[in-house]
Amino acid sequence: MRQRQGLIALAFLAPALVCLAVLRIVPAISAVVESFYTESLLRGGRVFAGLGNYTDLLSNKDFRQSVGVTLLFTVLVNPIQVVVSFLLAVLFTQRAAGARLWRTLVILPIATPPAVSAVIWSVIYRPDGLANGVLERLGLPAQPFLTSPSQVLPSLIVLLSWIGVGYWMLFLIAGIQEIPAEVREAALLDGAGPWRRMVSVVLPLVRRPLAFVLVADTVSNLLVFAPVQILTKGGPNGNSNLLMYDVYSRAYAIGDIHVAQAEVVILVALTLAIVAGQFRLLRGDQ
Amino acid sequence: MKRLLPATIVAVAALVAACGGSPDAGAPAAADQGPETGTITFTGTDNAETYQPVIKAFEAKNPGIKVTYTQIPFDQFNATMQQRLSAKDAGIDVYTVDEPRVSQLAAKGFLTDLSDLDEQVKTKFSATAYKTNHFRDKLWSLPMWNSTQFLFYNKTALAKAKVTPPTADPQQRWTWEQVEAAGRKAMQSGGTKYGLFMEQPEAYYQLQPLAESLGGGSGIEGDDALTPAVETDGWKKAMQWYGATFASGLSPRGIGGFQTGPVFAAGDVAFFVGGPWDLKIFGSSKIDWGVAPLPDFQGGKPLTPTGSWSLGINPASKQQGMARKFVEFATLDAAGNLATTSTTTIIPANLDAQKQYTPQMDGFSGTKTAGAAAITTYESEHTAVSRPVSVGYIQFEEVMGKAFADIRNGTDPAARLQEATRQLTDAWKSIK
Repeated sequence: MRQRQGLIALAFLAPALVCLAVLRIVPAISAVVESFYTESLLRGGRVFAGLGNYTDLLSNKDFRQSVGVTLLFTVLVNPIQVVVSFLLAVLFTQRAAGARLWRTLVILPIATPPAVSAVIWSVIYRPDGLANGVLERLGLPAQPFLTSPSQVLPSLIVLLSWIGVGYWMLFLIAGIQEIPAEVREAALLDGAGPWRRMVSVVLPLVRRPLAFVLVADTVSNLLVFAPVQILTKGGPNGNSNLLMYDVYSRAYAIGDIHVAQAEVVILVALTLAIVAGQFRLLRGDQ
Repeated sequence: MKRLLPATIVAVAALVAACGGSPDAGAPAAADQGPETGTITFTGTDNAETYQPVIKAFEAKNPGIKVTYTQIPFDQFNATMQQRLSAKDAGIDVYTVDEPRVSQLAAKGFLTDLSDLDEQVKTKFSATAYKTNHFRDKLWSLPMWNSTQFLFYNKTALAKAKVTPPTADPQQRWTWEQVEAAGRKAMQSGGTKYGLFMEQPEAYYQLQPLAESLGGGSGIEGDDALTPAVETDGWKKAMQWYGATFASGLSPRGIGGFQTGPVFAAGDVAFFVGGPWDLKIFGSSKIDWGVAPLPDFQGGKPLTPTGSWSLGINPASKQQGMARKFVEFATLDAAGNLATTSTTTIIPANLDAQKQYTPQMDGFSGTKTAGAAAITTYESEHTAVSRPVSVGYIQFEEVMGKAFADIRNGTDPAARLQEATRQLTDAWKSIK
């Protein structure tokens, strides 16, 4: 009986397991295997190269810069997005007039495809665009935004946060609403002010959703691609050349699929290392 | 990774197959021609309306064959095609091929050999078009269009700034120095925001003549055409000038892709460098404008871009026979070739079609386009310079595009060209 149940369960799981194997595991293995090979377009033939593709990458200046840019981007974008989503979640769970309307407005950009958002922001960031129009009204000097090596990354962070913050906020709102009313009331009776309540009551009680948001946000930001492809093509001077875009341009623009596979493997390893580090830190807090 | 897998497996399979095959690898004409009736798929970058007339004419002449057109935006076209062709996607029968890319596409086994049409192509097209569609002595694609570049100017703004506009006479071609001075005057007193703007400010196609006109060469040299040569004096000088036009505000930074034409159509720039397609597009704008030949540098040699899309057949197509019929109709047949140019104004590559087409160019937008026909004829006979034929052209265009973008945004040109040399050497290592 029990064995039969097990078989039925397996049958139900089979579609998911097959998809997992075909779409995730096999490609992953293939990427690792292919990253050890190389081939010449003119001479042809696929040759085992050992770690050749990896050493080529590590000695490549553009790749090293891309890793640096990606790490800097990760260090900046994730804390900003998590803190802003948390503050917005706290704000929108207050009983205030129009809170639902505001919440909807913040979530709205999620419904816009990333490519469309990028096109909208390309107009905003143009030298004669909306952003400089606003600065001019405020009596501030015009800014180069995407055309400046130092402003390009912050500009992308603003754009990505516009898309992402509303989404991550949803998880945190759900978490805050889970906090039992008695706990809040007890804090109120003890005379805790709004700041105290946020730091000592809300924050510790939304730790689980917060940990999820941090990890999921980190992974999604390591895989950012569309805005870079549409707005900057990695420039100026490689200052927005995030690893995911670098993989794409190596594979399909430069056409060196094997080195691109090696880069994918490095990107996955980097992602795992960062996420593992985050889990460790979160556990250390307890 | 999900996307890399099938492409890789098939690319490897395709390369192994292509390299191990006989000298006739690819799909020789004698191969399976497939069914005689049905629907073939044609993929390109232009709007669907562009190809409606030629598809209609073809279907009328070939009952039982239908053609469906799929558009892939220009910015994503090359990468998407690379992915789909390497996956041996039989969903593409015919596709547009940018002429300088013929070599690499043929080397990768992405084009059907059309060498049996060699004689016809030799007589029906220009010698340049004949040559650029060949790779290793074989014909891989059939030329569909040709192109050139014009200097468009805003008549109202120049009149306001009291500047006599350039004439359409190629013998009295302006220099870039003249354009720069007149552009600045238009910005001061002609009411335009910018003086000069190129339609594709980061494209090798449009910037090649700047360097070549100063004797800088194409940027590629060597017997195998896989040695970068972008640090010549001509390239450095041309890029110094080009970078400075943005640094000084003569040209705008941060506007690219399909946002450039509207800047001229809105009256925001005095001079605009664009192609034959603009002759009709700008006709619907409210400003008054005219056309003149593409400038060159003082003391330089006048040179102009040329070349355009060809048509090729996917070797993975299961409908080789029908695909060939369509490709031949759209290029070798003068009426068919002419039909490809009736919606979007672009020069047909077929010489008979060209003879009928060029005189009409003067009237594309009333009196504004007066002189366009004579300019086109003169440039194609005297100044046209093709993009280099190299198996590494795809990488070259990619690397140079990023270099142009950085120079535009203020990076030191000499240092950036040096960087480009390094990147090209790296990228071409995997080809050699």
